[in-house]
Amino acid sequence: MRVLCCLDGTNIEEISKAVSTLLQSEARTIGLLYVIDSGPQGEMERQRERFLRPPHPPAPRREQMRQAEIASAQDILEEGTRYLPGGERLQREGRPEREIVQCAADWSADLLVLCPRSPKNPGPPLGPKSVGHVARFVLDHAPCAVLLVRGIGTGSHL
Amino acid sequence: MLQFFHVPALTTTILISLIALLTLAGIMVRPFKLNEAMIALAGAALLLILGLVAPLDALTTLASDWNTFFFFLGMMSISALAEAAGLFDWLAAQAARLAGGSSRRLLLNTFLLGCLISMVLSNDATALILTPIVYTLVTRLRLPVLPFLFACTFIADTASFLLPVSNPINIIILSSFQLDLWTFLRLLFLPSLVVISINIAFFFWLYRRQVQGSFDAKRLPSAAESIRHQGYFRYTCTILLLVALAYIIASALQVPLSLVALGGAFLLLTGALLWKQLTFKDLGKQISWSIFGFIGGMFIVVKAVENTHLTAQFGQLLIHLSAGTSLGAVAVGTAGSAIGTNLINNIPMAIVMRSALGATGHITAAARLGFIAATMFGCDLGPNLTTVGSLATILWLLILRRRNLDVSGLDYFKVGIMVTPLMLLAGAITIWLLLL
Repeated sequence: MRVLCCLDGTNIEEISKAVSTLLQSEARTIGLLYVIDSGPQGEMERQRERFLRPPHPPAPRREQMRQAEIASAQDILEEGTRYLPGGERLQREGRPEREIVQCAADWSADLLVLCPRSPKNPGPPLGPKSVGHVARFVLDHAPCAVLLVRGIGTGSHL
Repeated sequence: MLQFFHVPALTTTILISLIALLTLAGIMVRPFKLNEAMIALAGAALLLILGLVAPLDALTTLASDWNTFFFFLGMMSISALAEAAGLFDWLAAQAARLAGGSSRRLLLNTFLLGCLISMVLSNDATALILTPIVYTLVTRLRLPVLPFLFACTFIADTASFLLPVSNPINIIILSSFQLDLWTFLRLLFLPSLVVISINIAFFFWLYRRQVQGSFDAKRLPSAAESIRHQGYFRYTCTILLLVALAYIIASALQVPLSLVALGGAFLLLTGALLWKQLTFKDLGKQISWSIFGFIGGMFIVVKAVENTHLTAQFGQLLIHLSAGTSLGAVAVGTAGSAIGTNLINNIPMAIVMRSALGATGHITAAARLGFIAATMFGCDLGPNLTTVGSLATILWLLILRRRNLDVSGLDYFKVGIMVTPLMLLAGAITIWLLLL
C-alpha cells in the first residue's frame, strides 16, 4: 500500500503514530509530502500592488525568502524521516490543497494521511469547522482514500 | 481641442465628471491589469487634449505640489538605501533575539518594530521591506507565517499617523492645510496609540492558539550576518537618526519635509557610493517611478473637477452631513475617507478630500481641524479594512471563492473587516475628545 503522509511542520507526531498503529511496516510504502505554500507570497505581491509597486520584491530579497522556504521544507522532511524511516521525500510548491491532490495522483497513492487542521491551531474538536480548508479540499478532490488524523489531546484520534 | 469651440459650461462639467469617474473606475477595476499610473495619466491626457484643463493650470498644479513629489522620491530612496545597508534585516534579527525564544514576544516585537519603521520611514517601508524579512525569519523559525505577515501589513497602516512623515498621505493633506507639529501630535498621536493597542490586542486574541510556545533560537540568523558593510551600516544608522531628528524639527518649524527626505537620501547615497554598496542604477530600480505618474495624473484630474466647483459642492455636502459640529466633522471625515480609500486607492481619495476640504472655509475652527485630522486618519487607516486592495479586488476574490478556488486574500479581508471598524471608531472618538 502506498501511503502519502502530508506534513505541515507541526503534525508529524500525530501522522506517524496513526500510520504505525494502523499499517504494518512491511505492507506499506511511505511518501512524505511537504508543500511550500505559495499563498503568503501571493499576499505579499498583492500588498506590493496596493502600494503601486511591481508585484515581485527585488531579486536578492526573493532569493532570501526562497532559501528560507527550502531550508524549512528540508528540515520538516528530515524530521519526517526520523519518525517514519525509509519514507520517500516529496517536496512541492503551490497551494497546499491542490498540490496534495495532484501529488497523490502523480505518486499513485492508495491512502492520503493528513490532519484536519494544524495541531497548533486545532479549532473546534468536532463539527464542520473542525476540518480546515486544506483538508476539506483534499477530502472533496482526492483520487484515493483519505485518513484524517485528529490531533493528540482532542479526544478521539481517528 | 474644445477651446476652439463655444462649449456650454454644463457640457464641460459633464465631460470632466465623466472622465474623472472613468479614471476612478479604471483605478478600481484595473481593466487588463493596466497600471494605475497609466489610467491616471490617460485621464489627465484626455482632459488636456480636449482642453478641459489648461496646460498652464495643470503645470501650476503639479509645480505647487513639489513637496509631495520630492517627499515620495526622498522617502523611497532612504528606504532603499537603508535596506542596502542591511538595517531592516538587522532590526528584525534583534527583535527576534529580544523575544528570548517566545513566539508571542516575537509577535509583539514585530508590531513594535513595525511601529518604529512606519513612524520614521513611512508605512511603505514596513509593508514592502519589513514584511518579506519577517516572512523569511518566521519561515526559518518554523512558526505560522500568516499572523506575522498580517502583523506587518496591519501595523504599517495603523502606525502611519504617529508623525507627519509616517505616511505620504499626510504630506498630501498637510501640503494644503498647514498644521503645526504640536497640533498634529495633539490630534493624532494619542489616537495612534489607541488604535495600535487595539490592533495588537486583537491579534493576540485572534492568534492565541497559533502563536504560542517557544521557538528554537538556534535557527535565528546572527545579527552580524545581516550587515553587509560595517562602515556603511554605522553611517546609515547615524544618518537615519539625524533624519528622524530633522523630520521633527522641520515639522515643528513647518519646513517642507521633502527637503529633509531628499537631504537624507543624498547623504545616504553618497555613503553608498563611497563604500560601493549601491549604484545609481540600483537605486533607480528600487524606486517606483510610476507613482509619480499616478499622483501627477490624479492631481490634474482632480484640478479639472475642482474647476467645475464639484469638489466645492462635495465639501459643502460634507459640512451639511457633519452639521458643522466637530463630532460630525470627525465622523463624516473618518467614514468618508475610510470608505473612499477602499473604493479607490487612498492616494486619489486623499487628493479628492483635500480639494473638497479646501471649500470648507466657513465652519468653526474645531470642525475644520476635525475634518483635516479625520481625513488623514481615515485615509491612513482605511486601507486596513480590505488590506489586499480596494473593494473591487475583494469582490473579485469573493467571486473566485464561489467558484471553489481558494483565495487566501480573503483571510486578510476577514481580519480587516473584524478589527478595522473597531479601530476607526475608537480612533475617531479619541480625535473628537481631543478637539473638545
